[in-house]
Amino acid sequence: MTVFGAISDFFNLADPLIRNVVLGTVLLAISSAMVGCFTFLRKRALVGDAVSHAVLPGICLAFMFQGTKDPFVLMIGAFVTGWLSLWLIDVITSKTKLHEDTVIGLILSVFFGIGTLLLSFIQQMDSLPDKTGLNHFLFGSAVAISNQDLYAFGGIAVLLIISVLILYKGFLVLSFDEAYTRTIGFPVKLLKLTLTTLTVLAVVVGIQAVGVVLMAAMLITPAATTRFWTPRLPLMILFSAILGALSGFFGAYGSYITNSPTGPWMVMVLSMAAVLSFLFAPKKGIISNLIRQRKYRAQIVEENILKAIYQLGEQHSKFYEEYTVDHLLDRRPMQPLKLTSGLSRLKKQGYLTNQSGQWTFSEQGKLRGQRLVKLHRLWELYLTTYLRIAPDHVHDDADTIEHIITPELEQRLEKLLEYPETDPHESVIPYKSNPNN
Amino acid sequence: MIKHVDNPVIEVHDLTVSYSSKPVLWGVDFSLPAGTITGIIGPNGAGKSTLIKSIMGLTSMSSGYIKLFDQDLDDVRLKISYVPQRESVDWDFPASVFDIVLMGRYGRLGLFKRPRKADKEAALECLRDVGMEAYKDRQISQLSGGQQQRVFLARALAQDADIYFMDEPFAGVDAATEKAIMHLLRQMRDAGKTVVVVHHDLQSAQTYFDWILLLNMRLVACGPIDEVFNEKLLQETYGGKLTLLSDVSTIIENKGFPTRE
Repeated sequence: MTVFGAISDFFNLADPLIRNVVLGTVLLAISSAMVGCFTFLRKRALVGDAVSHAVLPGICLAFMFQGTKDPFVLMIGAFVTGWLSLWLIDVITSKTKLHEDTVIGLILSVFFGIGTLLLSFIQQMDSLPDKTGLNHFLFGSAVAISNQDLYAFGGIAVLLIISVLILYKGFLVLSFDEAYTRTIGFPVKLLKLTLTTLTVLAVVVGIQAVGVVLMAAMLITPAATTRFWTPRLPLMILFSAILGALSGFFGAYGSYITNSPTGPWMVMVLSMAAVLSFLFAPKKGIISNLIRQRKYRAQIVEENILKAIYQLGEQHSKFYEEYTVDHLLDRRPMQPLKLTSGLSRLKKQGYLTNQSGQWTFSEQGKLRGQRLVKLHRLWELYLTTYLRIAPDHVHDDADTIEHIITPELEQRLEKLLEYPETDPHESVIPYKSNPNN
Repeated sequence: MIKHVDNPVIEVHDLTVSYSSKPVLWGVDFSLPAGTITGIIGPNGAGKSTLIKSIMGLTSMSSGYIKLFDQDLDDVRLKISYVPQRESVDWDFPASVFDIVLMGRYGRLGLFKRPRKADKEAALECLRDVGMEAYKDRQISQLSGGQQQRVFLARALAQDADIYFMDEPFAGVDAATEKAIMHLLRQMRDAGKTVVVVHHDLQSAQTYFDWILLLNMRLVACGPIDEVFNEKLLQETYGGKLTLLSDVSTIIENKGFPTRE
């Protein structure tokens, strides 16, 4: 079969086997993404990792004792050791002085260690029939799942999704404020138990497709990613579900085309979405943070220029004089490159005009420069009167704060200081209404 | 000076509380009357928060019992509201102001019922009472300290309870919020509700409260403000730790000794 043939086979979803595999992977990815939202919000990401590693010994033991790969038998084994690990984490954390993260690390490695040990025993035991495919539990293989198993997994996944929807209110208030949840009489222990059980179930359902090593990513990455995009929990859950579904679909696809494990493909899709979100998400993303900071820095340069021109105007008692770059640098030392780029931005914005190297205020420019000088001096006065800071120590602080003060704060400041005439250094505070300025 | 009242709404009997076997409250025994604002006053580490947490069943007691309206907490939960310390939750949680206030209705609704229109209206009304109606859709991560406290208060109001326990509602809030909260508390008291507030500022305590509970690991005094708020008792509350008592606590903790047999 050519690659192209494989692709078209896959996307047609004509083959019932492929169709079921895709549907199953999508469902389980959705369910773990939804449950994972609350795991994430309760800051239990590491616990998800511990559970997914801790199910391995359960699977191996179930196989060794029952000699079958019947998914229900294996799932029960997985569920038991998954639960046991969580119980141990709770008990050890509460009975000893160890921190939870230490205990989680401990339990995770012990259980996973036992699991891999058992796995290698199984490979050497000749008495066990049909042990091929057990390795799939490490990294997952959706294609290797039989149709019957898929119905079972799909059923549980649907059950998980419904549980999250029904218990949404309880999980919401529990994740935000556990103490409060107890005081309103909600069964906090039962809610936590249910959420834990759902987490374990999501892991158990997912491992055959995703594998124990990467299952934690299916729980946590969708929530961590979509948290960047929305501040609303219902939307966050919805987006996580969609992201999970996409990773399930493309994971199954990549795995089918390249005949490789499913888990890494799904995790790659998720991680890509995560990295893109960390970088490009509006407001919370790294890039938009950088852009915002750049903007602020540019604003500070611009406002410092306007201030310098206004102060030059004060010296000459003429505000619409023309100045060269050197004049400005004399008044306020700054990097020449920053100055020239700031000047040209101010020209574009209409605050300054430029005639053959000579810079002059526009009317708006003068007003803005005046306001900044006023804020600077008001803030200095505020610091000396209300914080009792020495007059020679207030300049640097005011140089920063003047850029931040909003019109509302400006009004409050003026009122509080009762429209003073001069600052601590006897410089006149220029008000807009004063005709002399 | 511990003044017991007739028909108390809150009755704490011989309460002893330990944290990981270290006793933090010893034999606390008092009762409070209805329709009052009580301030729980004491130095850092005196067990003020622990006291109201154990009344709310959030920490287990080593000994003693508590009655609210002469009943167990579980039988009167809907009549009791608890406002935790503002810092006890993560305000970066993905929820709006309205979402949080609506949680005040959850106790009445139970685990499965969805909030009805009436619940939403009630929540909105409470937001209006704390002057935060305009912030209804605001992300809680964008609130100032004072605004966070108002949201918590609105959530408590939405519970429509008869007794309110508040842990440091004035900590780190602006003057305007402090005034607004105090105004609300007085209104609640005048409507017959009982309010118990953990507080650490002695100066304002004098004007804020009708009833004062002085605490420093043990109960120093509990009674009407003019009988309790005097230099001698304050001196006893703040004047140095009872080193013997805290040394014994430390021994109990280090040896893993049970506080009670």
